[in-house]
Amino acid sequence: MSEQRTPTELGTERIGKLILTYAVPAIIAMVASSLYNIVDRAFIGHGVDALALSGLAITFPLINLSAALGSMVGVGSGTMISLKLGQRDHETAQTILGNSITLNVLVGVIFGALGLIFINPILTLFGATESTIEYARDYMIYILIGNVFTHLYLGINCILRSAGHPKKAMAATIGTVLLNTILDYFFIMVFHWGIAGAAIATVISQVLAFIWQCFQLSDKNELIRFRKGTYRLRKDLVSNIITIGLSPCLMNAASCFVVLLINRGLLEHGGDLAIGAYGIVNSIAFIFIMIVMGFNQAMQPIAGYNYGAGQYNRVIKVLKLTILFATLTTTAGFLIGELFPGLCIKIFTRDEALIDIARNGMRIVFMLYPFIGFQMVTGNFFQSIGKPVRSIIMSLSRQLIILIPCLIILPNYFGINGVWYSMPVADGLSVILALTFLLMEMKNLKKLTSATPNI
Amino acid sequence: MKKYFAINIGRQIGSGGRAVAKIISEKLQINVYDKKLLKSASDHTGFNQECFEKADEESSRNPIRSLLFANFSDNGMAKNYMSNDSLFTMQSDAIRKIHEQESCIFIGRCADYTLRDSDLTLNVFLAATTEDRIERICSIENCSEDKARSIMADADKKRASYYNYYTGKKWGDSSSYDICLSTSTFGYEKCAEMIIELAKEKFGL
Repeated sequence: MSEQRTPTELGTERIGKLILTYAVPAIIAMVASSLYNIVDRAFIGHGVDALALSGLAITFPLINLSAALGSMVGVGSGTMISLKLGQRDHETAQTILGNSITLNVLVGVIFGALGLIFINPILTLFGATESTIEYARDYMIYILIGNVFTHLYLGINCILRSAGHPKKAMAATIGTVLLNTILDYFFIMVFHWGIAGAAIATVISQVLAFIWQCFQLSDKNELIRFRKGTYRLRKDLVSNIITIGLSPCLMNAASCFVVLLINRGLLEHGGDLAIGAYGIVNSIAFIFIMIVMGFNQAMQPIAGYNYGAGQYNRVIKVLKLTILFATLTTTAGFLIGELFPGLCIKIFTRDEALIDIARNGMRIVFMLYPFIGFQMVTGNFFQSIGKPVRSIIMSLSRQLIILIPCLIILPNYFGINGVWYSMPVADGLSVILALTFLLMEMKNLKKLTSATPNI
Repeated sequence: MKKYFAINIGRQIGSGGRAVAKIISEKLQINVYDKKLLKSASDHTGFNQECFEKADEESSRNPIRSLLFANFSDNGMAKNYMSNDSLFTMQSDAIRKIHEQESCIFIGRCADYTLRDSDLTLNVFLAATTEDRIERICSIENCSEDKARSIMADADKKRASYYNYYTGKKWGDSSSYDICLSTSTFGYEKCAEMIIELAKEKFGL
């Protein structure tokens, strides 16, 4: 029958066990991709110097912007391919693969070329100064040259996942992280190539991962593989890919804009080092965020399936358990951030001035972390049960609607701390919003539960 | 194994597709699946019928908008059973299953595309003149002519983008169908007769 039967275990197996089975691989993949940044930063912080960390942090939103464009193509074509596979339309699925390759090359080359041409004004806009621009440029030049391969690698990974090869996609992710770590060590510590070494390591590992993916997708036995004549862009497919990929792309682009605002605020009120400090704090915070996202990925199919099947008791149960796991995760982040900030920061740098700024920032940023897990899970929950509008409002509130005004207003009164405090303020208000939405939905769910008796 | 046939009817709103389907169904003693399909999809998957109704309404309300929202954060890493795409896939599975079990008529829902690999299908498109369509919409919806006109324009646009998105073909394009008929020219009764005639010819009834 069809390739993706709805697995009945989702409706019968113990919820706790289900969450863990689905969450562990997701968490590994998510954490691996955030380790990438940590490894780069740690090598640069120790192998180059503190200002190099700031240079790197300046490029961060720019790299994310490129990833946002890549995710537009990746998510759009991945979604289309899994839809076509569900319809057993392998012909079109292959054409989508070919089209996505062409699109990735186009977008990757254009972004890379524009970035290289306007590199100085762009970096200045993103917060580079005379003392940091050299670092940022040294790093960014290589990243932009390799940009097209980054897009291809990320795009194909999305497709591998959608085409029923999540393990291969995960292997590619973990492979690039390991390779990058080894190359970082040689290029920065042994050859002393400085910050450029980190960029070259990144590009080489992604090119190698891309080559490996190409072998996977050339296998004659594969349902979805490279084929001649599929690369010519088809207007209807491209417009569908872009329509589907547009909202994740805009979300990512918006978060780049926020990081840009944060970096500029920190630069203005705290100088070059403050940007590097945020880079450090952000890397650490991201680990916990990624673990929660892993739990979210586990919850999505379980909650969605049971909601569809009318097993509302199980829906409530998976929600509660996921909130519990997520809260434990972010509370661990809170404890580490508040009690041992210095320890984490020393992974990245020995510079006392930088450590001081980062320690102060970390204490503030992690202030409301125990509640963030709840907020993130609730947002994803609405997505899982087919109510995406609420889910969008919630994630926009934390990352955009509340955060941006805070970032513009608070620093005028509180200086650098105003920038830091914007984050917990946005966190707090969005937690209240999440609680309101959830209480409304719980009433609804309870009503449904009592209307349909369940075992 | 006994083979069953399917008559897939695509239609402009107000062209009388359901009326024609009803005549065929009575004459050939087979079922018509339109909204009823949602019930079967629900029976096959164990999912609530309301979920399918919601997806059906949403995709017919504004496909582009629901696409934008439905796929938000659906990054292919985790399966979202409640997304419109996923519900459409389940509905298509139901169409294939019904096709294996009985001869019937499918109205809309891209059945022609879903059953494209089956030899035993007759794909029909029904159209009518604007005047006739408006008149029919007026009498069904019990509304003014202006209102009917806007319902018609709206529904055509939505059906087209739903069909084009899921099938990659063009809704109402003659090359997708075995026969396109105007109910204004021939009337429902005659259209039904012609379709039955062609079905008999093609399926050797």
